Amino acid sequence: MAISVLLSFTACNAQIKNAKTESVKIYGNCGMCETTIEKAGNKSKVVKVDWNKDTKMATITYDAKLTNPDEILKRIALSGYDSEKFLAPNDVYAKLPDCCQYERKAQTVAKVETPKTEVKEDHSTHNHSAMTETRQDVSQLKAVFDNYFAVKDALVKTDGNTSSTKAKELLTAINAVKMDKLTTEEHTVWMKVMKDLAFDAEHIADTKDASHQRDHFMPLSENMYALIKVSKTETPTYYQFCPMANDGKGANWLSKENAVKNPYYGSQMLTCGKVVETIK
Amino acid sequence: MDNQKNIYKKLLPIAILLLTTTNTFAQKVVRYDLYVKDTLVNFAGKEKRAIAVNGQIPMPTLTFTEGDTAEIHVHNLLKEETSLHWHGLFLPNKEDGVPNLTQMPIKPNTTHIYKFPIIQNGTHWYHSHSGLQEQIGMYGNFVMLKKADDKTFRNGIDDLPTLPIVLSEWTNVKPENIHRMLHNANDYPALKKNSVQSYGEAIKAGHFKTKLKNEWKRMLAMDVSDVYYEKILMNGKPSSDLKSIDGKELKAGDKVRLRISNGGASSYFWLTYAGGKITVVANDGNDVEPVEVDRLIIAVSETYDIVVTIPAENTAFEFLATTEDRTNSASMYIGNGIKQLQSPQPRLKYFEGMKMMNDMMKMNGDLDDMGMNMSLNQMDMNVVMYPEITGDSKPKQSENDPNRYNANALADIVTLNYAMLKSPNNTSLPQNAPVKELKFELTGNMNRYVWSLDNKVVSETDKILIKKGENVRIVLYNGSMMRHPMHLHGHDFRLLNGQGENAPLKNIVDIMPMETDTLEFNANVEGDWFFHCHILYHMMSGMGRVFSYENQAPNPLIPNPKLAQRKLFADDRAFHFMAENDFATNGNDGMAMVQGTRWSIGTEWRLGYNDHHGYETETHIGRYIGKMQWLMPFIGFDWRYRKLETDAMGNVHGEKNLFGQTNTKDNRRQFSLGVAYTLPMLVVLQTEIYHDGNLRVQLMREDIPISKRVRASFMVNTDKEYMAGLRYIVNKNIGLTTHYDSDMGLGFGVFLNY
Repeated sequence: MAISVLLSFTACNAQIKNAKTESVKIYGNCGMCETTIEKAGNKSKVVKVDWNKDTKMATITYDAKLTNPDEILKRIALSGYDSEKFLAPNDVYAKLPDCCQYERKAQTVAKVETPKTEVKEDHSTHNHSAMTETRQDVSQLKAVFDNYFAVKDALVKTDGNTSSTKAKELLTAINAVKMDKLTTEEHTVWMKVMKDLAFDAEHIADTKDASHQRDHFMPLSENMYALIKVSKTETPTYYQFCPMANDGKGANWLSKENAVKNPYYGSQMLTCGKVVETIK
Repeated sequence: MDNQKNIYKKLLPIAILLLTTTNTFAQKVVRYDLYVKDTLVNFAGKEKRAIAVNGQIPMPTLTFTEGDTAEIHVHNLLKEETSLHWHGLFLPNKEDGVPNLTQMPIKPNTTHIYKFPIIQNGTHWYHSHSGLQEQIGMYGNFVMLKKADDKTFRNGIDDLPTLPIVLSEWTNVKPENIHRMLHNANDYPALKKNSVQSYGEAIKAGHFKTKLKNEWKRMLAMDVSDVYYEKILMNGKPSSDLKSIDGKELKAGDKVRLRISNGGASSYFWLTYAGGKITVVANDGNDVEPVEVDRLIIAVSETYDIVVTIPAENTAFEFLATTEDRTNSASMYIGNGIKQLQSPQPRLKYFEGMKMMNDMMKMNGDLDDMGMNMSLNQMDMNVVMYPEITGDSKPKQSENDPNRYNANALADIVTLNYAMLKSPNNTSLPQNAPVKELKFELTGNMNRYVWSLDNKVVSETDKILIKKGENVRIVLYNGSMMRHPMHLHGHDFRLLNGQGENAPLKNIVDIMPMETDTLEFNANVEGDWFFHCHILYHMMSGMGRVFSYENQAPNPLIPNPKLAQRKLFADDRAFHFMAENDFATNGNDGMAMVQGTRWSIGTEWRLGYNDHHGYETETHIGRYIGKMQWLMPFIGFDWRYRKLETDAMGNVHGEKNLFGQTNTKDNRRQFSLGVAYTLPMLVVLQTEIYHDGNLRVQLMREDIPISKRVRASFMVNTDKEYMAGLRYIVNKNIGLTTHYDSDMGLGFGVFLNY
């Protein structure tokens, strides 16, 4: 009896020398996850991974002279699955099939928005109220700017659907701005451009035809430029110009990157244009 | 008289004391002692020789503040010569550390003192400039801090927690052997990297025609880099944690500045960060306006200062350096907690790259940029091979799209290029200085691994004379098939990149195939300054020039300039040896060859096991002609012994060749004159006339890549001899063969090569 137990034990580990076994948690959902996890972890004669989709626990048997659990868990994380030690790259996780989109409990969500503001807060506890107020200002117009950039990015890709949705969000953000929280300068400009901003955003939202959207994107960009000039942003914004747009009259837009990606032509002329001003 | 003497004697020590004290007031002398010693390391499973300084690899980080005087004592405890070059530094020429050019090599068991004032700030590095020592450990960080009251001090950048990182690679193969194998077009590294690009693989990828056209244009399969490395290292480690800096634990929201030098001998690295965008704040030790990117490539010997942010609590974010060929990488986890990984760079689509090269290569070996004016890394032909830019399979861009090589136009991610670098200061050169313009074409021959400027190596050219005070403008065009990081010693140059008077200052410019870049500098320090490709194996092959100032004072460290020059030239004049032999059932087949930049001396032999099969050797001494080196005239000597058949009458049956010429001797000794020419499909046409008037024409092709490990060859000539064979590559030095030979019949064998 003892011998047969011993035999079966050696048999199951026959392939792996210097075998060591550990039990570790790996996040995942289904049978498909199991296949991916085990395939990523296994290495012929060196590593054998057995993951249980109910307990989310994996039994890892490995040759302790040739590898270690970190190496194995890193490989598994690179295939899309978090463990207690490694988080999968976000883009790899995003590409997992729908049924495998497990809940990422191991991941601490990055503080949304600006770590910079957080740091400021740490240092200025004595001046807390003032600090919070500036933060609100930033976030108020920030939503407007962010949605504008999203519309721009969609137009760069000539993606009429996305620019329409993003323009809707832009409109919401515009309507949500509380004017009394703006600085005097911002307020003055805001009063001038608000109506036009809303008008153009609405028209972009109403159509899925990119060329019509671009017609409205031109005045939208002009007004955004006026606004961002007086507003404080944390990262520099680049005011860019393409001389060919608008039937050769030229048109501007704003971008967070100084590399030119033209929203007026899409892939036809992506890098036509130049930075005319850097706004800080 | 006596009195006077005494007075001098008394005054002298006082004077000396005064001098030294003024010195201490004016500047701080910072002294480092470096002990250079052989060591054994185990980076990749095997104990190998390396060189450690003060017992460590990389060499210790040397830190100074602008205004200090550096005094570095180099104690050479090796059994060979050494030297140390301070990369990117402004210093007197005799401190520059190029053996046989700015100083004589530091002999074993001697000490050499480098002493120079620190007159700049920024991230630099230092390395051995002797032989291939840089590959096996002699690289280190060299950091010069700004003074606290420096006007250019940037709050939020210069006061961040900072870590210097030197990137490097490790191979278990001796660097001398790598160098030799590169010159002999050994494709074993490609096998290790799984990038052979054989016919079999081409057919599988639906690229048979591409491969055929590639060979038609006389190209061997190429990769973006040629050396296989087992390990990539950041500060000597393939993987490390950065949990705290200067004793302060890193937490969410913290920004970290990394001073990164690429101390790799031949690898470019992609830098990416799992925690988001990378802000580039300096390049080659010079501040640039901060620019946010998703990734950047760091050329061999370049430095970049980057700032990254830790975006979340309880997480360490992976900072990843991946070799350009994407076969290997090193990681550093920045922060505390669970490790957030960065996705690795996907594998290259080699056949797309081959197709691109086919389009660029003209039949005569020149490159054709098809009207695109390429510069500053803005257009990257290699994007056709990048799945993250051009998709997983076929490129989606059309043939005529002007942006089909523009990574930033094709994808959402932002890749740094030189046009995005902008100096915060006006970097214009003196206005009224005379301008000297120089033009160089970077040239090279992939197949024979010859790298040069204007098809001349260092030893084939004179020093280029420049005058103190003039502005030197250099226009570089890369007509070779690989990218080259060109480095200028002792000066920073302005890279004319469209930023006007804010052109960035650099001392290395990476230049991709078919690019043209213009750089300029004011000649302000006398001396002999090296200007060369910083890929170690390209430099050792002679890819460089020496700039020398007219009428300059002789260098006191070079007592015998002629001897020094001869030793300097010896680097690219070196010959590389190779040998192979097939021990087959029907005889021995082999060759041995030594080759230099232009000359080739080779002997081939076919030794049967009996007199009927015969014994024969051919020796050729030839010189390669032209940039592509397709043509090689040679003189030869043949010896053959073979028992010829006799008939019943006792007449010897001679052998008739296709031209009706016969030879009846079974013991032939012949001199010959001939010429070998590489035809499309890499078939070598060899025409040879012997001193008895016999003519022989031969076609031969070796190493036809059939599949990843199988190579075929054939030979046919007008002596009615023919041969066809197959070889299976077992490892770097061993193969299994089968071949059929008209003299010796069918055979199987074991093939050894060195």
